[in-house]
Amino acid sequence: MSKKTKKQQRVDSPRRLNDMIFQELFHQVPFNVAVIDRNYNVVEANRNFTEYFGDWKNKKCYAVYKKLDKPCKDCPSAEVFKKGKAIVADAVGVDQHGRKTHYVGHVFPLRTPGSSKVEYVLEMTRTVTGTRRLQQEYQILFDRVPCYITVIGEDYRIVRANEAFRENFGDVIGQICYKVYKRRKTKCPNCPAAKTFKDGQVHHSTQVGIGKRSQKIHYAVSTSPLMRGGDSIAHVIEICNDITAIKKLEHEVIEAERLGAVGQTVAGLAHSIKNILMGLEGGKYIVSLGLKKDNKEMIDQGWEMLERNFDKTTSLVKDFLSFSKGRLPELVMTKPGDLINEIVDLYKDIAAQSGIELKSDIGTKIKRAPLDPGGIHTCLTNLTSNAIDACLMGEKKGTEVLLQVKESNDKLIFEVSDNGSGIDHKIKKKIFTTFFTTKGGGGTGLGLLTTRKIVQEHGGKILIDSKKDKGTLFRMEFPRKRLMALYKEAK
Amino acid sequence: MADNAKKTILVVDDEEDVRNFLKIALMEAGFNVITAEDGNVALDKVEEQIPDLISLDLVMPKKSGAMFYRELSKNKKWSGIPIIIVTGHARDDFGKPDLKELTMSGPGIYLEKPVKPTNYIAAIKNILKMDATEEEQETAEMVEMQNTLKNVIDDADPATLRKIKNILDKNKTD
Repeated sequence: MSKKTKKQQRVDSPRRLNDMIFQELFHQVPFNVAVIDRNYNVVEANRNFTEYFGDWKNKKCYAVYKKLDKPCKDCPSAEVFKKGKAIVADAVGVDQHGRKTHYVGHVFPLRTPGSSKVEYVLEMTRTVTGTRRLQQEYQILFDRVPCYITVIGEDYRIVRANEAFRENFGDVIGQICYKVYKRRKTKCPNCPAAKTFKDGQVHHSTQVGIGKRSQKIHYAVSTSPLMRGGDSIAHVIEICNDITAIKKLEHEVIEAERLGAVGQTVAGLAHSIKNILMGLEGGKYIVSLGLKKDNKEMIDQGWEMLERNFDKTTSLVKDFLSFSKGRLPELVMTKPGDLINEIVDLYKDIAAQSGIELKSDIGTKIKRAPLDPGGIHTCLTNLTSNAIDACLMGEKKGTEVLLQVKESNDKLIFEVSDNGSGIDHKIKKKIFTTFFTTKGGGGTGLGLLTTRKIVQEHGGKILIDSKKDKGTLFRMEFPRKRLMALYKEAK
Repeated sequence: MADNAKKTILVVDDEEDVRNFLKIALMEAGFNVITAEDGNVALDKVEEQIPDLISLDLVMPKKSGAMFYRELSKNKKWSGIPIIIVTGHARDDFGKPDLKELTMSGPGIYLEKPVKPTNYIAAIKNILKMDATEEEQETAEMVEMQNTLKNVIDDADPATLRKIKNILDKNKTD
């Protein structure tokens, strides 16, 4: 550039402008920029670089970037010098304060115009330490959070899965979710992810999956849309809580209640049998005494006693059989109101003949429920016939029996109430367990035992509220969740 | 057996057949018998005439045997009446607590339904310290032994039960 022609001078001012722009850009660009020669010497660097990595003059790049005393392994600059192509590389270095720093570097070759030889490389690095830390935190959170997390694409393939998931279901990236979760060949019915893909809303459901050791895994799943700009949902994130242990506990509680009911019932039955044996023993004794004394009256008395207790055996065996029928209730979706109507039809006439009004009150919007219709029918029959008896015992006028079905706190409730004689407080405590009968020799005392057994087998409870001379209320409560759980289990 | 006729027994049981059976067996052995179908009626009967012994069922409607016994013990005139318990609930959850309370605090002896008339009469005579036939004496002793053993076995922990079984097994082989 010894001689400047006019033409050259004219272009000179834009070049100066270019220089100014270059200088400004070089220092202001939000990167740490450095130029390195083939011997790893840093020959130029911008302000950002200097502020970040410290003094660089007359230093080797590895000493500046990483505070090392010999070249790094896998040196990206060396690669660019060799291949002549720009690359992007991740690296970990040390800043001027000795702190560890993560950065991403773009390395470009610099050539003299017209030459193919790379004389320098330009390194533009950007610190990503903060981002990297967040990423790591997020990764730890994603992997260690105590639930299963998967990200599912529209083709139902698993794109990502966290550690907890991989531990229980195996390494599954790229596989179809329903195959992994349930070993199914087709999509699950009521798939919450499908709903989220469709409406973009969060959906919840409980499911049963199969783990990699073929174990049953109960989980509560929530699906949320994962949108990356735009309106379309490319992925759904599934978060599943393992509720296997809770399910097991729930099952154990129901089972314990069932066994408890069976135990108490067997004890109640044993008492009935002992009483019958006592009657037979007595009859036998009186007959033989009558024979010895040649006393016809005595023989008749003993014989009657024998007959009566043989009859009791027959009805006990009948009750026994109905009692032992099926340990698990046969659940079908039933309209609770229909059951009430059946009982009213059955007892209307009997009640009317005794001057008792039989009323029913069926709540509106009572949903169907999985019940054993035969079983609940038996319960309602027992309670209704008891209520009618209680009305007859009181010798009151204007007595009535009310059958109700209602819903409260996600529980299905049947109530049978009367304004009859009521039950003595002390008897109330033993009413389901003792040989309690107000029906002379007619009852085996099994009615309420059977009722309670059926209610408990449905996962429900039976409660009693009674005041002497005011009346009695029997309430059967069935938590809907338990009914559904039993229903699913039975299926 | 000379003074049997003077002794009056009150039989309390909610089952008519049981009442009749025990009544006939007692009358046959020479006792006077009155009956009651629950604790309330029994209290009325005691008020009318203090019996020499009460044969008591435990689980009854209206007033149970245990409740009847508690009221009986409150009254000094009645608290000394000997009681024999005749129950079907000796070893289940309904009768056991009541039975424990009663056997701990007084009446002592109980018979488990179904009872045989000879056992029943023998046990009663034993309580009333009456002369019994040799057979009745033997039966009464046996019943008492059976009861003691039953109680021991019912209350035993597994280790004691094993010990008892070992002794029995040893006797068998001897």
